[in-house]
Amino acid sequence: MIDLLHAELKRTWIQFIRYPTEVISGIVIILAVFYGLFTSAQYIAGPGFAFGDRLDSVVLGYAMWTLIISVNNDIAINLQIEAETGTLEQVFLSPYGAPRVFLARAFASLALRLLILIVVLLLLMGLSGSRLAFPPILLLPLASLLMAGYGLAFLLGAGALVFKRVQQILGIFQFLLLFLLAAPLEESMGLIQYLRFLLPMLPSTGLLRDLMARSLGLDWFTYGLALLNGIVYFALGLFVFRWAEATAKQRGSLSGY
Amino acid sequence: MLDARDLSKVYGRGKQRFEAVKQVSLTLHQGEVLAFLGPNGAGKTTTIKMIAGLVRPTQGRVAVVGEDPHRQPRALRHIGAVLEGNRNLYWRLTPEENLEYFGVLRQVPRKVAHRRGLELLARFGLEEKRHTPVQKLSRGMQQKVAIAVALIHNPKLLLLDEPTLGLDVEASEMVKALVRQIAQEGRAVLLTTHQLDVAEELSDRVAIIRRGRIIAEQSTESLLKEFSSSTYHLEVEGDLSPQQIHTVTQLGATVQGTQITYAGTPENLYGLLGALSPVPLVSVQRDRADLTQVFLKLVKDQPDTSL
Repeated sequence: MIDLLHAELKRTWIQFIRYPTEVISGIVIILAVFYGLFTSAQYIAGPGFAFGDRLDSVVLGYAMWTLIISVNNDIAINLQIEAETGTLEQVFLSPYGAPRVFLARAFASLALRLLILIVVLLLLMGLSGSRLAFPPILLLPLASLLMAGYGLAFLLGAGALVFKRVQQILGIFQFLLLFLLAAPLEESMGLIQYLRFLLPMLPSTGLLRDLMARSLGLDWFTYGLALLNGIVYFALGLFVFRWAEATAKQRGSLSGY
Repeated sequence: MLDARDLSKVYGRGKQRFEAVKQVSLTLHQGEVLAFLGPNGAGKTTTIKMIAGLVRPTQGRVAVVGEDPHRQPRALRHIGAVLEGNRNLYWRLTPEENLEYFGVLRQVPRKVAHRRGLELLARFGLEEKRHTPVQKLSRGMQQKVAIAVALIHNPKLLLLDEPTLGLDVEASEMVKALVRQIAQEGRAVLLTTHQLDVAEELSDRVAIIRRGRIIAEQSTESLLKEFSSSTYHLEVEGDLSPQQIHTVTQLGATVQGTQITYAGTPENLYGLLGALSPVPLVSVQRDRADLTQVFLKLVKDQPDTSL
């Protein structure tokens, strides 16, 4: 399994770096979109408005959004690309079994995404003047966030295996994610305060905002619920992905697109 | 090596129901090349994918070295495949990188995969191109890399779906030579192709599938013999005398100038040769069917049992 992880890391890195213009343009686009959002928000609010903590939350929300979009779309988009280019069936010929291979791929692409995220965050902070705190404990809610994120990624991957064309859903999903990740529902009152624990990733993003933007400590009870949320969505994703693989093999549509 | 029994595959339900493969059984032994032939849509690719564990059969079972790829993923360690219409390779990666990656994906330790990859590149004459991204290689070279990748984990069974499709003459000859070598190493090779000359050259046995059902399966040689007629074509140097023409015609042959056609028994052939003496012979040839004729005859003659 270590060899598989190493091989996936190497493959992901080589495919990423072989055409450097793609890498640079990708980062520039993420930054440009953010800068556009940021300056228009400043314009509407007027020059006297101080963003303060809110600006940090905006920076963090946007950074998380870009990370989770890439994590969520990762499996579905790659499944579709590989079906089109004709490598998908070779992947399904692995004695490791597809879920383990795609899990290793998920880890490999996560490593790459985190690297890009760090670069983007540093650049965003430089552009906006925002200063985020990075206490090591934030790795805990980040892990539960990513577990739920990859759970959704496997669910979308399962959709790609069975229904093939999922770009439309992925497009709509991005905006839904922006709401899920950037809206500070942890500040809301009433029923939503409880319902947010049922939605994927929401409990983890609230904790990340506490740690990085509000300089609060980690609430362990809330974290327990966030971790449970991550585990449940991850397990659900893997379970549905296995079902989708069996269904695609039954229909003989594994390599279709 | 391979024992596939009564494989059937049904797609859809109700009015959409379509039986793509009907009770197909195939066996393949060590070092044997089986050419799996059939018209487009006959069920070749579906059968190959059922053997590889990529399409689940509605009925029947597959055993590769005694293991079922549908129930035991480790059975896939015995299978290498180059699938038609697929690139089978990562185009941004070089041949060396592809070999190492797919080796690990097939559970070969990384260092062993790297070493075996280099050996295969040397054996396939691709050493100079080992650092060139696959997308920059010619179609023939890409196909050689795909076959090398299919061999990286030392499989016992190699599935080749149209391995010479779209290749020029030279590349096609190269691939044929490789398939021969691979079989000589003791691997079983299941080959589908529309190029029947390729099948005739490479295969020990032939299975012909039509509308999902196997309509012929036997050794290539015996199939060709069965469909070969006992007509002989003789050519002589110079004209025959009227007496010779009379005798030859009496024996059942027809004469057209220096060409004689004889469709009698092999024993009487010697009487015919005696009658021709002392005119020098240029050639004696027996009509031999080729696989194309056999294939067309079988595919056209079979009654349509599915209606």
